[in-house]
Amino acid sequence: MGAFLECGPFTAADGEGRVLFDDVSLSLADGQFVSVEGPSGGGKSTLLRHVTALAYSPDSVRRLNGENYNGAALPKWRSHVSLVAQDAPMIAGAVYENLSFPFLQRAGCEKRFDEDRAAALMTQVGLERLPFDREVRTLSGGERHRLALIRGLLWNPKVIVADEPLAGLDPDIAAVCLDLLQRFGRQPGRLLLCVLHDPEMSARADRRLRLADGQLKGVA
Amino acid sequence: MSDFIELGPLQLALATILIVAAGAVSMALRLGVERRLGVAALRTVIQLGLLGLILEQIFALNNPLLVVGLLLLMTMFAAREAVTRASRGYRGILIDAWLTMAATCFVIGGMVTQVVVGVEPWYDPQYVIPLLGMILGNSLTGISLCLDRFMDHLEVRSAEVELRIAFGATRREALAAPLRDAVRTGMIPIVNSMAAAGIVSLPGMMTGQILAGSPPLQAVAYQIVVMFMIAAAVALGTMLAVVLAGRHFMGPDATLRLDRMTSRNP
Repeated sequence: MGAFLECGPFTAADGEGRVLFDDVSLSLADGQFVSVEGPSGGGKSTLLRHVTALAYSPDSVRRLNGENYNGAALPKWRSHVSLVAQDAPMIAGAVYENLSFPFLQRAGCEKRFDEDRAAALMTQVGLERLPFDREVRTLSGGERHRLALIRGLLWNPKVIVADEPLAGLDPDIAAVCLDLLQRFGRQPGRLLLCVLHDPEMSARADRRLRLADGQLKGVA
Repeated sequence: MSDFIELGPLQLALATILIVAAGAVSMALRLGVERRLGVAALRTVIQLGLLGLILEQIFALNNPLLVVGLLLLMTMFAAREAVTRASRGYRGILIDAWLTMAATCFVIGGMVTQVVVGVEPWYDPQYVIPLLGMILGNSLTGISLCLDRFMDHLEVRSAEVELRIAFGATRREALAAPLRDAVRTGMIPIVNSMAAAGIVSLPGMMTGQILAGSPPLQAVAYQIVVMFMIAAAVALGTMLAVVLAGRHFMGPDATLRLDRMTSRNP
């Protein structure tokens, strides 16, 4: 049987033409938490952008549960394999819009924004005082990171691809957030692919990958 | 025959004193714009002088091919000017701008000259050229503003655009906010001038007609038609320009291709 998530080959270089990774492919089973480690500036974020099809890579193959996605089907791929980006970007507006906007897009027409679950998740990550109508431009970096994470969980895609989602969080909150992510990834038919800086956090992964010298290899 | 005061070379020479005075202010205050002012003044004289000579000929010959040819030439210059004014660009922007100008000019201009005003014969240069010229001049400003804003939005707020894409946005959904922002920006000048018309400013065309001896109410009627025409042309032109630009930066796969954006010197 094929893997749950298969994609690649991906090749990318940085602005100066230095190769970040060359001919890298991923083949991952579902129901697990997979970490990606590697030196800073080594191309981890770029790799995640390739996996989530935000970077242009027309010759790569992307397959989920045996189904191929390319060309005009890439928006659908992204709705299944969604990125929680490193700097926790937000759309201009309030907390509510930022959590619910994916459900108003065509990709979300069969999903429903669960306001109660949003409130429950916000409480779990220490954002219980944050009203839905608060403008996101007034939020701190840590609050934005937690909100971005909640948005990813609420969206409930097949695969969450998270780029340092715990950056800037204090250890207690970071542990709660990692628990939530881990629980998501370990469900059947789900997968978490996550770049983590902290080796202790990475050690909790079911499978550890390391991107270095342009190659992606398993960590023993 | 005419009931307006004719201007000759002497009057034009006297008017030159005004531009020299503006240059003197620039030099006195060390604004450094005197050279640009001089070049702009010279361009005004040469371009308008040439246009006057060409129009005299075209009016005299009254040939539809010549009128259409001149209009095509005008759309090309307008497209080039619109593209030059934008601080960013992309490969093929000139063709897109020209297509936009031509489509806007012929759709809106055609409707105004043939349906609203009812010009006879259809190509009568006395009506067709100034009316379409007004469309081009204003569309040019609107299109360059909106293209600039569109590309600025895509670049500066790329994280926001990509956030929507990361949750499965289609091209249309991903570009909706930048498109709205850009078209709104492109329409600001015409909306402002419509709001201020007659109270804060006397629009140029109306002023010209009154100076040339038209009854003020006729001049007003023409001005209203012109303003509505310009508003429609700018709305259509900006929308078309942004849709065409959007297709360069995003294909049906909805991947944002900022690598296709080029910078220009401000």
